[in-house]
Amino acid sequence: MSSSSIALRELQRDLENKANDLSKLQKDIAKNHQVRKKYTIQLGENELVLKELDLLKEDANVYKLIGPVLVKQDLAEANANVRKRIEYISAELKRLDGSLQDLEEKQHSKREAILKVQQRIQSHQAGKAKA
Amino acid sequence: MGKPEVKGTVTSLSSVFPPEEMQKAAKMVEGKLSEKQNEMNQLKEFIADNTSLINLVQKLPDELHHDIMVPFGKAAFFPGRLIHTNEFLVLLGESYYADRTAKQTVEILKRRGKSLMSKVDALKAEMQDLKAEASFFDSTASEVADDLVEIREYEEDNSTERVSQSGPVELESPSVAEADNKVSASEDDEYARLMSRLEELEKEELAAEDEDANANATETETDSDEDELTEAAFHRKKVEGYSSLDHNQRYLVSQPRKQLQQSKGKDPMNEEMSTTYNHQDLTNQLACTGLTAEPVTKGEISRGRIVHQDTKMLNPPVNASVPSEKTSLKQIIHDSSRNEKPVQTPKSEFDSSKAFTGSIIEHTENLEKKLPEQKTTSSQSSDSKPSKPVSRFKMQRK
Repeated sequence: MSSSSIALRELQRDLENKANDLSKLQKDIAKNHQVRKKYTIQLGENELVLKELDLLKEDANVYKLIGPVLVKQDLAEANANVRKRIEYISAELKRLDGSLQDLEEKQHSKREAILKVQQRIQSHQAGKAKA
Repeated sequence: MGKPEVKGTVTSLSSVFPPEEMQKAAKMVEGKLSEKQNEMNQLKEFIADNTSLINLVQKLPDELHHDIMVPFGKAAFFPGRLIHTNEFLVLLGESYYADRTAKQTVEILKRRGKSLMSKVDALKAEMQDLKAEASFFDSTASEVADDLVEIREYEEDNSTERVSQSGPVELESPSVAEADNKVSASEDDEYARLMSRLEELEKEELAAEDEDANANATETETDSDEDELTEAAFHRKKVEGYSSLDHNQRYLVSQPRKQLQQSKGKDPMNEEMSTTYNHQDLTNQLACTGLTAEPVTKGEISRGRIVHQDTKMLNPPVNASVPSEKTSLKQIIHDSSRNEKPVQTPKSEFDSSKAFTGSIIEHTENLEKKLPEQKTTSSQSSDSKPSKPVSRFKMQRK
């Protein structure tokens, strides 16, 4: 009986660990979602800026706000910068997508493992009740 | 009339949609809906701000400089002037600014307003979907609360039962046909029986094959004959038309065709098409579809004949099979002529519609008259043109 209770405790500890891992995974997934949202918004904004820059005349003044300073920039330079930023953001989004998939798979497998442990605990308890 | 078998399921809505879950789902949908509503409000604010800004930007260049109270720090103002009234530093996004004139600024602002409007429209569509969901949940929740039960019934066509029961009744009192369903069902039964009978007869006749060489001549004759017959039948009978019958007839006729084909290896497509063609001719001429049903319901005889005609039309070279059909027709006619009862009873059994039973009776009468004269098949109105059927059969017998 003691052995079975010890086994039961072990199983429960195992269950707790797995539950913690699962909650961590879920937090990671939530963060991933948030960052993805942010990046998506930024991407949209940058594309809008690019459109407006294209509509500007060659000699129009473009300024960039860096901290408290408004710095005058060349139109061509501004265009190039905005395009680079767009590329960077899209790459980041792709990377995030991949990591999100990984996290979801891990979460899935964790859930299954937790179920198994729960089943074992139940069978143990049933066995204990019979004894 | 026999009752159709009804299989059914009775499910209480509470089992399918448990009330607690319904409430949860309703709450979730409500939450989403409120979220969307907030977003919508925000977007509408943006749009309002945008329009007011456009107005301001358009008004500023009216003056060379404006006297204003300039904000200074958190809680102070001082009087000042607003100069360069046509130069605007517009935020393009992502901390990028550009010098623009009033007009250009207004253009930029208008473009922003457009994108905002499109976002609002998308949000509206989403909200509508959510509202539909919410209403569905509400209605089902109320139904569950009222302990409503979902009942599903599946009807089976037990037409045979129906037919057998209605047979004697129809024999006694022929009248206008009853509901379309019954008619169609009874017709199905009729055709099934006729088909089976035809098969039997054909088998018998296959043993004794006749020659046939009349394809074309008889085809045209049969076409015209059919038309005449159908018209005569129409006049004689006062059956109301049932459009469904047409379909049934065509379908049913095609079925025996198929069987015949299988037994004789004809081209099924042609035969089916020809049967439908024939029937269509009949239907076109007749105001009442019921009449078109008549030639079919005449039953074995008429059908056999039509089949023969069709096959003639379609496959003149296939003569060997045709004679067998004709012989089967003859046998059918003989049978019908000799034994009214057997013919009538199967017919009455087939026809749930009383009208058809009436017509069937007439047919048999006609047949009786004709048979002794010409030994022709079921043409109803062949009285007017006895020569053609006679010739046809003579040729068939060859």
